[in-house]
Amino acid sequence: MYQSIIYKEWIKTGKLVILASVIFVGVIMYSFISVKQILRLNGSVNIWEAVIMKDLPLLSTLKWLPVLVAILLALAQFVPEMQNKRLKLTLHLPLPETLIMITMLGFGIAVLLFIYAVTYVVLLPGLGIWFAPEIVQLSFYASLPWFISGLLAYTLTTWICLEPVWRQRIINIAVSIACLSLFFVGTRSGGYNSFIPYLFGFTILSMLFPFYSVSRFKEGVQ
Amino acid sequence: MDAIIECENITHYYGTTLIYENLNFEVRQGKILGLLGKNGTGKTTIINILNGYLKPRSGICRIFGEKMENLTPGVKSRIGLLLEGHIQHTYFNVQQIERYYSRFFPNWKKEAYYELLKKLKVSPTQKINTMSCGQRSQVALGLLFAQDPELLIMDDFSMGLDPGYRRLFVEYLKEFAADGTKTIFLTSHIIQDMELLIDDCIIMDYGKILLHQPTSHIIENFRRFRFSADRDSMAPDERFWHTERIGNTWETYSFATLEEVTSILSGQGAHDIREEKLSLEDAFIGLTGKY
Repeated sequence: MYQSIIYKEWIKTGKLVILASVIFVGVIMYSFISVKQILRLNGSVNIWEAVIMKDLPLLSTLKWLPVLVAILLALAQFVPEMQNKRLKLTLHLPLPETLIMITMLGFGIAVLLFIYAVTYVVLLPGLGIWFAPEIVQLSFYASLPWFISGLLAYTLTTWICLEPVWRQRIINIAVSIACLSLFFVGTRSGGYNSFIPYLFGFTILSMLFPFYSVSRFKEGVQ
Repeated sequence: MDAIIECENITHYYGTTLIYENLNFEVRQGKILGLLGKNGTGKTTIINILNGYLKPRSGICRIFGEKMENLTPGVKSRIGLLLEGHIQHTYFNVQQIERYYSRFFPNWKKEAYYELLKKLKVSPTQKINTMSCGQRSQVALGLLFAQDPELLIMDDFSMGLDPGYRRLFVEYLKEFAADGTKTIFLTSHIIQDMELLIDDCIIMDYGKILLHQPTSHIIENFRRFRFSADRDSMAPDERFWHTERIGNTWETYSFATLEEVTSILSGQGAHDIREEKLSLEDAFIGLTGKY
């Protein structure tokens, strides 16, 4: 039965997931081409120096992509559920409502984790061809908040979509923008390192927010 | 017969507007009960309360003995739900939606769904969001028949349907309920259709139930009486409903017999009293008023 819910989520989001994957592949290729080009034009020594001494970012093209894809995925999954209150049909299925929601959220999070993980698996060893492991590690930590923010953007967008009252939705949007902006404070690479566990913890906690929206939906709050 | 649906003392407000106060009713097994009321009397509200999608200010509803806000998966599998406007997951196509629902219900009758859809001349790969309202209604009905639930709850099933599709819907529902084991609770704002279908009828007014009676009792006993009287007003009487003057003629509605009505009204100067049989729609208007 849970496979059926996953099937439904795939029908809603399949085209978007494929498009997002293509975009990520494009951005990864662009990142490689771009790095190779600056190395060719400026020489490895100068670029290594710029990365180490002047904090030249290597993965800045990826900055907004995880958040953007996460928001679109959440919208594709949950806007159709709220149109004409179709969520009533979903919650009427003969399964525990909490498990239905966990399956739907789990699908979205699994898709994002898969795309993000594949991106890292390709990108980081690729950078290792031209840069020392320490520089690759630095790039990983510099980009990690962007990917964690993608997961947070997904749960917050779900929280907003499932909220039944527009006035409360607007408050949720404001809170979400404030939360997400924490992940994009301008700082030097590694500036977030000590903060990452807290960001990750908050992201895990935020997975409960959509359940609050569903409980309001169930109560018929207007 | 067991009560499949029980509602006790339901009181609900939207803001400060009272929708019901101490609403009580039950639906017994094998009955087709129609909930009739003007717009805004809370027909959809009661469906939402019943299914646990709205928490009333006070009171409790039970379906198959379980409280509405905590229906277990076992009970949900015994209930077929049709939302107002035949809402379904329209991003599926005809085949996909059948495949999706079939996994949830052990007694799924695939052939019942496709039997109904054969009449629609739609391809198995046609998306539901490209269908007309009538076609979507048949998809929704086909899915309910395939589920084969013990209880069908249908909110305004006739909404958006042309007369042909409405009649088709009613005929299929009658067939579905023919063996007497299925219970149907439905609302509709087109009352002609209900007359062909429902055993019992609840007529709602703002804030309360006006009447809960077998449909046959209403059709056989509720009458319109037209009469002449040289007066500007008639004395109020609880046996009469919506007495009003239209031009030179008066009309009133009542469950009383012609003899009783004649005896009451003659004392007020009424003459030429004529009794008229009513359809359910006319009876509804007589009970709830035109305005």
